[in-house]
Amino acid sequence: MSLQNSKSAFSRWLDVMFRYRKHSGSWAWILHRLTGLGLTAYILLHIVALTGLLKGEAAFNEEMRLFSSPVFLFGEWLLGALVMFHAINGVRIVLIDFGNGARYHKQILIFVYIFSVIIVAGMGYLIFRHI
Amino acid sequence: MTTKIFKFEGARNSGAKSWYMQRITGIILVIVLIGHYILMHATPDTGHTYRAVMERLHQPVWKVIDLTFVTLGLWHGLNGLWSVIRDYEMRAWLTIFIYTIIVIAAVVFWFLGLNTILSF
Repeated sequence: MSLQNSKSAFSRWLDVMFRYRKHSGSWAWILHRLTGLGLTAYILLHIVALTGLLKGEAAFNEEMRLFSSPVFLFGEWLLGALVMFHAINGVRIVLIDFGNGARYHKQILIFVYIFSVIIVAGMGYLIFRHI
Repeated sequence: MTTKIFKFEGARNSGAKSWYMQRITGIILVIVLIGHYILMHATPDTGHTYRAVMERLHQPVWKVIDLTFVTLGLWHGLNGLWSVIRDYEMRAWLTIFIYTIIVIAAVVFWFLGLNTILSF
């Protein structure tokens, strides 16, 4: 089925990946995928972390103290950047698929980037002002 | 071309339902997410202590919100992962293996989340 020529499937995939000319929509697609994969990994972690509630008050509050240390706050901000881009670009995808967004998808994308940067900057202020 | 592996799947189950549900769950998740971010990330004072979480978790409304968030979030994430996997042509056994892992992960993590929420 696959693997008809001497190159491995993976290196052919890399070839295609780098050779394809990428327009703005391609970058949005790539970013949406990567952020989505990251967020899926995170939600699994998040579910596991919150099972700490079952260990009782002292253990859970100790866990939360760890999560409010500067390193974790920076992680919270980074994660927020992934979430915000994925959510805002997700709205763009819904507009393209369900609405009339295909006509304006490039303009919407510019709005997505600007809006994401503003929200992430605002979130940085809200998170780091308490340090 | 992974669809060729699942020969029993006709055009009726080509992934159109997953595509549609990915958008519907996405819309709901964005709405719940706004509330989640205002509550949990805008200020460090609201609701991070055990006591505050317990106060919320003892109200049925919050239980429903949390269950919705866990269920839809997991489904959206793992369905997204599966649709990324589907884009690549792989050997049949590998595709089926990955699919099995995703389904098992979905069940295990869903029960972990459910167990945490419904224990209180």
